[in-house]
Amino acid sequence: MNEKKEDPSGMTSMVDTWLKSLSDLFGNMTAQQNTTQGQQQPWTMASQGANPKAQATMDAAFQNWQSMANAMAAPESISALLKGSGAMPEMLLKLSQNSLNGFGEMQQSIIDRLSRMGATAEAYEFQDIDENIFSTWTDIYEKEFQQFFQIPQLGLMRTYQEKANQVADKYNLLQSTLAEFLNLLGLPFNQTMQAMQEKVGEMAEEGTLPDDSKVYYNMWVKVLEGRFMTLFQTPEYVETLARTINTLADFSAARDSALEDLLGSLPVAKRSDMDDMARELYELKKRFRILEKKLKE
Amino acid sequence: MTQAKIPVDLILSKLAEEAEKVQSRAGKASEVLLEDLDTAIAQTPYEVVYQEDRVKLKHYLPRTKSRYKTPLLVTYALINRETMLDLQPGRSVVERFLDSGIDLYMIDWGYPTRKDRFLGFDDHINGYMDNIIDFIRERHKVEKVNLMGICMGGTFSVIYSALHPEKIKNLVTTVTPTNFDTKKGLLHVWMENIDVDRVVDTFGNLPADMMNLGFLLLNPARLMIDKYVGFMEHNDNKQFVENFVRMEKWIFDSPDLPGEVFRQFIKDCYQGNKLLKNQMEVGGQLVNLKKLTMPLLNIYGKFDHLVPPEACDQLVNHVGSKDTEDICLDTGHIGIYVSSKYQKEFAPKIAGWLKDRDHIPPKRAPRKKTAVGKTAAAAKKPRRTKISNK
Repeated sequence: MNEKKEDPSGMTSMVDTWLKSLSDLFGNMTAQQNTTQGQQQPWTMASQGANPKAQATMDAAFQNWQSMANAMAAPESISALLKGSGAMPEMLLKLSQNSLNGFGEMQQSIIDRLSRMGATAEAYEFQDIDENIFSTWTDIYEKEFQQFFQIPQLGLMRTYQEKANQVADKYNLLQSTLAEFLNLLGLPFNQTMQAMQEKVGEMAEEGTLPDDSKVYYNMWVKVLEGRFMTLFQTPEYVETLARTINTLADFSAARDSALEDLLGSLPVAKRSDMDDMARELYELKKRFRILEKKLKE
Repeated sequence: MTQAKIPVDLILSKLAEEAEKVQSRAGKASEVLLEDLDTAIAQTPYEVVYQEDRVKLKHYLPRTKSRYKTPLLVTYALINRETMLDLQPGRSVVERFLDSGIDLYMIDWGYPTRKDRFLGFDDHINGYMDNIIDFIRERHKVEKVNLMGICMGGTFSVIYSALHPEKIKNLVTTVTPTNFDTKKGLLHVWMENIDVDRVVDTFGNLPADMMNLGFLLLNPARLMIDKYVGFMEHNDNKQFVENFVRMEKWIFDSPDLPGEVFRQFIKDCYQGNKLLKNQMEVGGQLVNLKKLTMPLLNIYGKFDHLVPPEACDQLVNHVGSKDTEDICLDTGHIGIYVSSKYQKEFAPKIAGWLKDRDHIPPKRAPRKKTAVGKTAAAAKKPRRTKISNK
């Protein structure tokens, strides 16, 4: 009974038998190796004599394996080994639990970020949503989403993946900034419409409404022009314009860099190659002209 | 409460009238637009007498006997094209100069490509311009030439004249920005905040389309809406359509701006205002406006939204010349050159001013580095006038 309790599946005897046969195998291989060397053909003798160190290393390795197999065949070693294998599923479970917890935490962090998005948005006054929705979106993107495109990439393709992420990130930024900029450009139209409604209302009350549609158009263009002029001098416009140009430049740079990688495998010159050549040509020409002028003088 | 008096009946009848007019105009317009239209620009005959890389020197064929001893070189901006001075026969500054008997040369900067991105102020001013001026001096066997600059070409001309005063007899600057410390023009406001390094490092040259969009945004109501509404209202008039298309051709015939020129123009001029402060460096030399001692005629537009008067009218106070004249015309940036009214004033004024100073010094100085601009300045009685055509 005891025996069955300790080794219900007959694992001990199986491992014992396997280890003994392993020990015999290494013993036989060592003996075989020595016999073969004794019957070596004349044309292989040179190599034998040429590298006795290799042979010694081989012998030592076989002997080590044989002694290890013998040692492991001892009953106490087998029980230790079996104990270890019994702990294996527990260890695997713990490992997978940790990993799952890690994923769970990451997912939680993403959920937290998404919920924070609402908190970020709350900072803005949504009663003016028409006016600041685009800047709000840009802000939310920069604070909550951009980081995902900046997660460090690993492995052989990391550089390319990083560049692809950069293109996506810069494209998103360009789109949100461009929407903000275009929204600003649309404001004078709304304001002009309001101003026109007020003006026409006043004229209707006064009974001075013009009967020529051209007069209304001229009035509208004049007010629109004035609204644009006012907008164009505001710090908000100047700042948004500069930001739009910057994001356009950033996106173009990221796109070009990714495209250059793709072109690298094709038999065509890249833009940076051409730029390098143009610079060299420019510098050579400049030096040539200076020398030419000096010669003339 | 008073009853609102809205002439609904009148408004409706006017609208009906308008609709009829539009219909009739549309019929005529399709005829006009399908006809052979003469929309060619820059038709005054010329020959290319010098070329270096993409840069060409045009020499206009004389229409009358030359009445000037000194030839005139016109330097246009690197933004848009010099064809603006010769939009159409009968409405051409070039024609007017030729009719005055001026021997006229003009720089055609060509279309910079990506390989030109490294060419900066130094390459254009001490390189191309200097070589061209040497070529003209050699061709005409003269020590000095007259130089006229337009817009950014004017800024180049001012810098050139300060660096090489021994080669310039008289300088004419038109709508030339030299003072960049002003908030009057939108370009001045916008350029202060632009990250020029990022733009140039990314794009190489400044793309023409980006530049054009920027110019249109200076006044979208007029330039993107009203202008085309005007076209729709007159598109049954062949002459109007031809002139309109000529102007469109010129406006959107825009070369890219070499990146390094743009970088220095923004950093040193728009953001640093270094030219007037005598702090600007070109080709390792400091540009000192006090060395600009030749006679100077400075013309600009009162309603110029690109280069406002405040950006132009400081120059005469900073140069070393004692013979200076400021003229402010009641027009805009382009109107000076293309409006028939101002062409009548502008071109003859320049021709007359140059004629007054077209003398040859009694003793021709030997061909060496002379005391710069001394002859022209010393021969004339110092004069400083300001004319404002209001």
